[in-house]
Amino acid sequence: MFFRFTLGATILCLFSASAFAAPITVTDIAGREVTVEAPVNRVILGEGRQIFFAVVLDGENPFERVVGWRDDFREAAPESYEAYAEKFPQISEIPTFGGFKDGTFDIEQAVSLSPDVMIMNLEAKAATDEAGYEEKLAKVGIPIVYVDFREQPFEHTAQSMAIIGKLFGEEDRAADFNAFYQEQLTRITDVIEAQSDLERPLVFVERAGGYSEDCCMSFGNGNFGRMVELAGGKNMAAPFIPGTFGTVNAEQVIASNPDQIIVTGGNWEAYVPGGAWVGVGPGSDEAQARAKLEALMKRPAFTGVTAVETNEVHAIWHQFYNSPYSFVAVQRLATWLHPDLFADLDAEETLKELHERFLPVDYRPGYWVSLK
Amino acid sequence: MTSITTDSPAPAIAYRSLVTRRIFILGLLVGLLVLSIAVDVSLGPARYSVADVLRTLFAPADADVQMRVVVWDIRMPMAMLAVTVGASLSLAGAQMQTILANPLASPFTLGLSAAASFGAALAMVLGVALFPAAISLMVPINAFLMAMAAALLIFGLSTLRGVTVETIILLGIALVFSFNAALALLQYFASEQALSAVVFWTMGSLTKATWGKVAVTAVILVLCVPLFARRAWALTAIRLGEARAAAMGVPVRRLRLEALFLVSLLAAVPVSFVGTIGFIGIVGPHVARLLLGEDQRFFLPGAMLAGALILSATSVLSKALLPGAVLPIGIITALVGVPFFAALILTKGRKAW
Repeated sequence: MFFRFTLGATILCLFSASAFAAPITVTDIAGREVTVEAPVNRVILGEGRQIFFAVVLDGENPFERVVGWRDDFREAAPESYEAYAEKFPQISEIPTFGGFKDGTFDIEQAVSLSPDVMIMNLEAKAATDEAGYEEKLAKVGIPIVYVDFREQPFEHTAQSMAIIGKLFGEEDRAADFNAFYQEQLTRITDVIEAQSDLERPLVFVERAGGYSEDCCMSFGNGNFGRMVELAGGKNMAAPFIPGTFGTVNAEQVIASNPDQIIVTGGNWEAYVPGGAWVGVGPGSDEAQARAKLEALMKRPAFTGVTAVETNEVHAIWHQFYNSPYSFVAVQRLATWLHPDLFADLDAEETLKELHERFLPVDYRPGYWVSLK
Repeated sequence: MTSITTDSPAPAIAYRSLVTRRIFILGLLVGLLVLSIAVDVSLGPARYSVADVLRTLFAPADADVQMRVVVWDIRMPMAMLAVTVGASLSLAGAQMQTILANPLASPFTLGLSAAASFGAALAMVLGVALFPAAISLMVPINAFLMAMAAALLIFGLSTLRGVTVETIILLGIALVFSFNAALALLQYFASEQALSAVVFWTMGSLTKATWGKVAVTAVILVLCVPLFARRAWALTAIRLGEARAAAMGVPVRRLRLEALFLVSLLAAVPVSFVGTIGFIGIVGPHVARLLLGEDQRFFLPGAMLAGALILSATSVLSKALLPGAVLPIGIITALVGVPFFAALILTKGRKAW
């Protein structure tokens, strides 16, 4: 075993291009101490959407380090994928592996790509441990580092970013982003916390409204439910949905009579062609999105509800939940819920600044629409 | 000698009392079903009083808009769909068990629900419409077409020479495994959003209920029931064994094919509307058989009533268990129905099959 390890390590050393690489130790989100030769030149992304963070650090050529990734980016965020594919055509040639599920990948393929490090999502840890991949990869000298932008985005984003910054040797850039992130998030949280008698409007978030025939998929305390709370609202579905995802009874919307309705949407033409979903997202057709949002509010569950009567009905890009831009969604929600408190805040400006300062692609509007 | 003559009127009396008892049981089932529907319609997160609900039911024009929508557009379609779907699935299961002479047979044993799930997933994961003209009904139409394709395949194979009842069941099981594998493959490649839609669909749910769907399922029931009723004695005879039924002049083969076709229709349509609710198709008929015996004159309505009652009661229960949320009904049918069913089988002295 020792022989195999040294052999693997020797081969890796021969192939590692950078002469400056030196071992550093990072503590990842799972609390493990991992030693990696940094800066890394060959990276495998355990989830394609981790590229959202990689591009922040490698503005010039974000895909240079990526030698393999899970094939979920194109499926889950088609508009973003296309924007990147246009600017960096080489991304279609990056080897993909495994299925779309977390932690399912072909270990042999991973080894053959000889990465310096594999960056995995925290939620994939159970599956990865189950398969014993960590030990197997360690034998050939490939460390796994866990990051998290999804399970607890508002607790782990900055920490994850700092870890990746260290690995990439771009610590300053990571610190810049984290400062921006904190600054923008506290613009909301500080104001909300400072209110002694905050009236939290009751908000019903309809998850992927119009995606299927059923009404009223929603969120419990996690995800958009959490964002609503951060933005100073009260999540209507929280008492009824024990986990993060669930469906509320259509009648409950009438019974609870929410003050605001927020429908998450995206371009789901690939799954539900011609469906009733609201296609918001980068570069979307605003008039069409608004018409579809209006049509959704004609369903029985929304009859005579305060939010509909007062036009407090909004749609927002569904992918905000698993992208680094979730703080922008919190800002947008806050300005809908408390227009007086945040009169001087423009979430679109924040999104533009994010693109200008940190992202290699141009900003395109269309991430949200409102009936107000 | 004397004892025989004195006893001679007894069988007639016994038969008459048996018939009376069975009619009474059917009446009881009807009563329970009506009660269950009433509770289903009056229960809901919007906490309207029973008087309000009744007023809205009988004079909808006078009621306030929200109340009318809740009672007529949200609660009633769900309550009614529970009844028609429960009755259809249970009837389908009953006749499947009869013609295949197997207590484990149900529309699902023949791969119909697996095929329907695969069809639905095809729409939800890949956006493939098998019938592109009606894109907004892509999911139910896909499910229906796949289920009917599976049924027709079984149907076609069973017309071949030398195909016995056992062969049909084995072919059905082969179909179940094939479609389940195909479904798993689709799920493996599905995005998160599509995956959760597929998983929710396969759990079965009444939330997609509309009056249109209630009407379609009701019409199919109304068309199928007289066709089965006309063959009631022949179907009863088949339960005595194929050879005996044939000796009595029952065209066993033709009857089986006819029944197979009707059963496919009865099962495929509800499944395409509500997803997989597998338990009803097996248990509804068994409950009816335990209570009423094999005579199709009682067994047929009994199975339908039992199925409708189970699904309606489940709908009530799902509202009571997790108020405000929607618990997929396919989960509760099995969780609550199985202990009840086991108790019924174990406490009943006589043979269940």
